[in-house]
Amino acid sequence: MFQEDGSSSITSSPLQMLPMMSLSPGMTSPYPWLNELKPEERGLCLIHLLVTCANHVASGSLENANIALDQISHLASSEGDTMQRIASYFSEALADRILRTWPGVYKAFHSTRIPDLAEETLVRKMFFDFLLFTKVAFVISNQVIVEAMEGERIVHVIDLNASEPAQWCALIRDLSARPEGPPHLRITGIHQQKEVLENMAHVLTEEAEKLDLPFQFNPIVTKLENLDFDKLRVKTGEALAISSIMQLHTLLAPDSSINKSPSTPMNNGLSIHLQRVAHMNQSTLRELLEKDVLVNDYSPSNDSASSSNIESFLGALWGLSPKVMVVTEQDSDHNGKNLMERLSEALYFYAALFDCLESALPRVSVERLKMEKMLLGEEIKNIIACEGVERRERHEKLEKWRRRFELCGFTNVPLSYYGMLQANRLMQSCSNSGDGYRIREESGNVVICWQDRPLFSVSAWRIRR
Amino acid sequence: MAASSSSSAFHLMRDENDNQQLQLHHHQLMASSSSAPPPPPAASAPPPASSTNKKRRNQPGNPNPDAEVIALSPKTLMATNRFVCEVCNKGFQREQNLQLHRRGHNLPWKLRQKSTKEVRRKVYLCPEPTCVHHDPARALGDLTGIKKHYSRKHGEKKYKCEKCSKKYAVQSDWKAHSKTCGTREYRCDCGTLFSRRDSFITHRAFCDALAQESARNMNPPSLNSIGSHLLGLSQMSTDHHNHNNHNHNHNHNQINQSLSNHDMLRLGGGSRPGPQFETLVGSGFRPARSSLPPPSPALYSLQQQSNEEDHHQQHNNGMLSNKASSSTQLHGLMQLPQLHNNAANNSTSNSSTAGLFNLSFFPPGNSVAASNIDGGHHSGGGGDQESTLFSSGNLMSMAIPSLYSTSHAIQNPSGGGGTAHMSATALLQKAAQLGSTTANSGASSLLKSFGKSSDNDHHHHSLHGHSFIGGGGGTATTTVFGENDNNGGNNHLHDLVNSIAGGGSGSIFGGEIDDYRSSSGIFHGGGNSSNQGGGFSSLEQGRLTRDFLGVGEIVRSVREQQQQQNAAMDNSQSQAFGGGANFRN
Repeated sequence: MFQEDGSSSITSSPLQMLPMMSLSPGMTSPYPWLNELKPEERGLCLIHLLVTCANHVASGSLENANIALDQISHLASSEGDTMQRIASYFSEALADRILRTWPGVYKAFHSTRIPDLAEETLVRKMFFDFLLFTKVAFVISNQVIVEAMEGERIVHVIDLNASEPAQWCALIRDLSARPEGPPHLRITGIHQQKEVLENMAHVLTEEAEKLDLPFQFNPIVTKLENLDFDKLRVKTGEALAISSIMQLHTLLAPDSSINKSPSTPMNNGLSIHLQRVAHMNQSTLRELLEKDVLVNDYSPSNDSASSSNIESFLGALWGLSPKVMVVTEQDSDHNGKNLMERLSEALYFYAALFDCLESALPRVSVERLKMEKMLLGEEIKNIIACEGVERRERHEKLEKWRRRFELCGFTNVPLSYYGMLQANRLMQSCSNSGDGYRIREESGNVVICWQDRPLFSVSAWRIRR
Repeated sequence: MAASSSSSAFHLMRDENDNQQLQLHHHQLMASSSSAPPPPPAASAPPPASSTNKKRRNQPGNPNPDAEVIALSPKTLMATNRFVCEVCNKGFQREQNLQLHRRGHNLPWKLRQKSTKEVRRKVYLCPEPTCVHHDPARALGDLTGIKKHYSRKHGEKKYKCEKCSKKYAVQSDWKAHSKTCGTREYRCDCGTLFSRRDSFITHRAFCDALAQESARNMNPPSLNSIGSHLLGLSQMSTDHHNHNNHNHNHNHNQINQSLSNHDMLRLGGGSRPGPQFETLVGSGFRPARSSLPPPSPALYSLQQQSNEEDHHQQHNNGMLSNKASSSTQLHGLMQLPQLHNNAANNSTSNSSTAGLFNLSFFPPGNSVAASNIDGGHHSGGGGDQESTLFSSGNLMSMAIPSLYSTSHAIQNPSGGGGTAHMSATALLQKAAQLGSTTANSGASSLLKSFGKSSDNDHHHHSLHGHSFIGGGGGTATTTVFGENDNNGGNNHLHDLVNSIAGGGSGSIFGGEIDDYRSSSGIFHGGGNSSNQGGGFSSLEQGRLTRDFLGVGEIVRSVREQQQQQNAAMDNSQSQAFGGGANFRN
């Protein structure tokens, strides 16, 4: 019933609708009864309106979508209760999606936007500071690494998103105190911003010096998808651990360059193929892939596995022979083809996160507003409004990741009882704010929940020999 | 300030020049120094030589025992031009140079002769009390050496290399480095090039270790993971005691201060200090070296729970005296007071929440179940109930996942207008339930799947030992909802919802306008259809009316239930929805 792409079935002239698309909540409501709704009623109303609106967007009846958005604007508020806030961001996302059907308008509309990477980094830091999810993920990940590195004398850890030194400070302390003595530790950090990596290097070096642990930091300034695997400088004889905290899903987007060629379902051959990557002196993975596509020297094969960067990336990681790889991902299916699926899944997911913020911070908190707008709001917008390469927040459930990892030659490492204990301890230790956090074990992996809603999964993998 | 030439005069002059001299003592270091420890000067006594005697081998600064030990204050040590010419005020670092200079002024001068007598060697102490060379037994042999030592080890690094930013405290070091910085390359056997020696050395350490490791053929030592876990556990349990003690005091600062600044794994900024976590990560996380006997996991978990209980009890002001022995029950206990508070709040403030979840989850037909749970609340507040009490608490929490969040909202002053509100999750679940009950026709409702999936979650939850809520709750949930379904005739919720989706259109919230338009029989389920439409027809736009039909129903269903429970009705509001009052049969 729903169409994937709203733009195809527009019948009325779209421009006629633009004047009606006023979304300002400040204007006096033509429906006074809306203001008399009790919070629950308002919430239910908003849910309904959002679903209705999304249906209109998906089916391309933008005029109706516009009306629904207008109604939402009277009820929603980015500074109100949780449902009002969520509704604000989802309606913004829907509007963004509508706007994208006029690429010209959209581009003009966003032509003067200044990207503020520093601020984004700050907001992510807040997410770490104020909520427990990242911390729990850190604790479990580190425990996995420490256990896997037991008895190893040279440890190399690759952090696919090196933004938060805290995790590695903790690891340095753990390793320096282990019974068999500290190992040589090298941490390779990957991040887009040089400053972030510099700060990380500084903090970690100091920590390691304090504990007299032989330490090297290897910064790589790059986007993850452009990572040059040579720069990782992985050497034989060192025990390698890879840590990814909410990064891998960004690689699920179909590779545009590959999509352009007519018949390119990606294949299993590729993963083997890419094992070469580590040895070859190709500059980037993407270049290599493009070349391969041009030469077409692998056999196109099988299934509907989406043609994306992920298989090649995982294949290259496999080629590094990591002793362990710890992956934290959003545990929700936001990668459906269908807009409505994504919307409903995202509604649940972000409702839980917004509820969590509600319990952690007062409504007027600037930090909360920023996190909601710049982090969660942007994710929502990306999930709802974007398609193709632009849609990067392709969160998927653990089960899908499991299949993908296994396809790429990895096998699951059950998390230890001790890791679970640690996570539990952490949450109990913050009983005030930790009330709603839960973790549960699902066949050797950990799912971090807010109340009953699973939000993040932590799993560990090693290569299958 | 005419100085005579002897070395004693030299000392004298230093005395005059510098009042801040820390210590100045002459004494002979005995060959076996144990016999005569030096008379301790005021500020910092050198440790008894006997203890240092053993460590003497291999260490730098091993002075001739006959040497004269000189202790200079930092100021004296760092003074650049201590010997000043009284004519031109030019300063010199050495007395001899001053004497030569005085010669130029035609002033009397006297150079020390190369003495034929045996000159007593002098050794110098580092003025830094914590330094090893502060000990006379480890004094350094020459003045320049001690100066450089003091600058390098205890001084500020003032000289920075512009090329590589390396800093030096001694200018000559800096000069030496500057000459070679960037000119030399260090090549490791592995082929990597380095411009700086220190980074090269660090790298070599890695490379060498790597080679050794490869040579050992990567035979992993047998992993004794269980042992280390147990050790870790024992460590953890002691940590836990600590943190409980700290909880007694609520003295978070103490812990914070004892931890380093880099301990960034702290809880949310300033607003919620989380020292316990810091202890956890800081030490509890490590495999312990402690010699404590490792307790068995079972032992630990018991201990943990009792600790936890203590912890909770503190927070509850000892309200709960019942010693529970399983975490499930503990959490049950925890919930009850909250429930109680919640109910109490709501009953006094005429807030909709209590009624709302009682109603929505336990509709009139289920009054037995509801009252059971009510009983649970009150007795729970009294704190004298046992297992039945817990199970009802669990039932509640299972059946209403929103419970926690609701109580959150109450606890949280951010709630705004004072009325408790449902969490967004709870609202979504409510919407999903409204959806799921309508799914008789097999139509695929969007939100229905949520209802299902959340039910599944509950079930899952109860299966896993880690759930904080006891088992059995899952089934309770489904039965409650099941009754909800079966009660159809009495249950307005059911009726209403049926009526919404009666047309059999795809989703409860009706994707397409046309469906609404075409299904005139949409309200057949409730039998109240005439009233329902009315309220909305007063709205201006037809389209709007259609869009809001579903919402109106939902909203009304909530309201209707509230009315039945609370018997408190707001006429003006329900009018807006077109006669909620009429709707009551």
